[in-house]
Amino acid sequence: MKEKTAKPLLKVENLTVRFPVKRGGLFSKKSYLYAVDDISFEIARGETLAIVGESGSGKSTAALAVARLVKAHSGSVLLGDDDFLSLQDEALRQARAQVQFIFQDPYASLNPRLRAEAVVREPLDSLGTGDPSERQASIDALFKAVGLRPEQQRLFPHQFSGGQRQRIGVARALATRPELIICDEPVSALDVAVQAQILNLLRKLQKDFDLTYLFISHDLGVVQHMCDSVAVMYMGKIVEHADRLSLFNNPLHPYTKALLSAVPSVDKKRRQETKRILIPGDPPDPLSPPNGCRFANRCPAAQEQCSQSQPPLRQIAAGHTVACHLVSDNGIAPI
Amino acid sequence: MSTELEHAVETARSPFAEAFEMFRKNHLAVAGLILLIVIILAGLFGPYIYVADPFDMVWAPFSPPGEEGYLLGTDYLGRDLLAMLIHGARVSILIGLSAAFLTVFIGITVGALAGFYRGLTEEILMRITEFFQVLPTLLFSMVIVALFGASLPMITLAIGLVSWPSVARITRAEFLRIRELEYVTAARACGVSNAKLIFKVILPNALPPIIVQAALMVGSAILFEAGLSFLGLTDPNVVSWGQIIGSNREYILDASFTVTVPGLAIFVTVLAISLVGDGLNDALNPKLRQR
Repeated sequence: MKEKTAKPLLKVENLTVRFPVKRGGLFSKKSYLYAVDDISFEIARGETLAIVGESGSGKSTAALAVARLVKAHSGSVLLGDDDFLSLQDEALRQARAQVQFIFQDPYASLNPRLRAEAVVREPLDSLGTGDPSERQASIDALFKAVGLRPEQQRLFPHQFSGGQRQRIGVARALATRPELIICDEPVSALDVAVQAQILNLLRKLQKDFDLTYLFISHDLGVVQHMCDSVAVMYMGKIVEHADRLSLFNNPLHPYTKALLSAVPSVDKKRRQETKRILIPGDPPDPLSPPNGCRFANRCPAAQEQCSQSQPPLRQIAAGHTVACHLVSDNGIAPI
Repeated sequence: MSTELEHAVETARSPFAEAFEMFRKNHLAVAGLILLIVIILAGLFGPYIYVADPFDMVWAPFSPPGEEGYLLGTDYLGRDLLAMLIHGARVSILIGLSAAFLTVFIGITVGALAGFYRGLTEEILMRITEFFQVLPTLLFSMVIVALFGASLPMITLAIGLVSWPSVARITRAEFLRIRELEYVTAARACGVSNAKLIFKVILPNALPPIIVQAALMVGSAILFEAGLSFLGLTDPNVVSWGQIIGSNREYILDASFTVTVPGLAIFVTVLAISLVGDGLNDALNPKLRQR
């Protein structure tokens, strides 16, 4: 693993995203759904942080908020030295060149009326990156970098396969030479064979262009392949955050354990060793989250204190934090 | 592989080009389009080929079609109905097109702003839309024409003012749907400005149902104009199909052809427009594609 540089490229602090929810009539009190509730993390330059979690855990919302595509309620997002959240209008538009996004669904993320070259050209034109006369050259270079043929520039999105479409999406994200690319489940809509191609492409590009990734996924296999460190989210909160090896070898939070035990393995020995931890039921209603630990109602190890107070995120070992009452200070997991 | 790719590049067509292909395969719609082109050409060039002043009294009133070389006969003042019909085509189609254009222009502007910005903008604009929607359309346009005079621009304005809400609602609905799609978010992440998002990213993708609606608007505007001129609310110095019907309506039992002929012209034109609109709907609706 790479050595951590002193200054992280991205530093997110106490990020909260909430959505107003209308319930009942016109004059009923506005209530809020906290999709992302007070999360903090940082990513060193050139590294990859994965946020994993089940559907509705707020991982995608967190990613969109970092990219200023969803309005954050509070918190700060520091990109290098700049506060990305406080930028407005034109300054924000220009700063978007630094943070690009790869979307989940390659069938929905390309404008059907634009040819492939126009899709990749869009960020160059709107952000005015590079000399206009050199744009065609940089589009050619981008197509080459993502493994598409130059003749394919003239085609429309519907003439591409899912994997090829995602390559166009990657080329678009690369166009402005960003420092940070947020990948929101970039391969979950693709076939397994194509997934591997795209993941390898992303890794190669990370090396070639010195990119930093914030990688959103629910697939722990993919995460293991891609990431330097992992943050596990549950109901809008980070429950465990560690580097990849610590998290996969020594998961502390019961939820992380349960997630890892659900990863299928082709290795028979390993399969027999790991005991599947089943978590029954559904997450509680996000509109009225419980007072205590949000995982308490499904946690196989839950005790009384778990439903009394919310566990804070504590550091157990260097770079390994967990939010669980039951994990002992010297890092013994409850299950 | 390479030949396959070359083929793909050669056949790389925009979605609109594909829609045109679909439209071409719809025989009824093509028939409607041809009919419409013939009517428009008759309106444009007819007066130069069949040179006659539609206001001239040329022969005895109510002479039936064919008599004395007047193909469609004469009206209650002895004017040549064929000449009136040809000149009327110009006016009717002109009003139809310009009223539809005005309708679409207002409708797209209001609908796009409401659907894109949401919030308070949407609330205000949609309440205004609803206000116009609940007005009795014919009555409201009659009031406008009666108050501000029955000139062609005023009639166009009156028709446009009463019929834009439906376009605004369709546009808003499409904007609400498309603004949530990932490629719009992607464009926003690429720093595309709001104006460009509205007009270059979302609007082209929202156009298909609006185009269909606009085509049908032309037909209904022609009908509307006919209705207004039937009631006498029209510029007496220009001939339109509705006006021919309106001025001859008292003789509908004695000389029915004076009313039937322009009535048929309206019917055929509106039918042609509807066929074209229907064809456009099939061609532009992706759900019907490739069936």
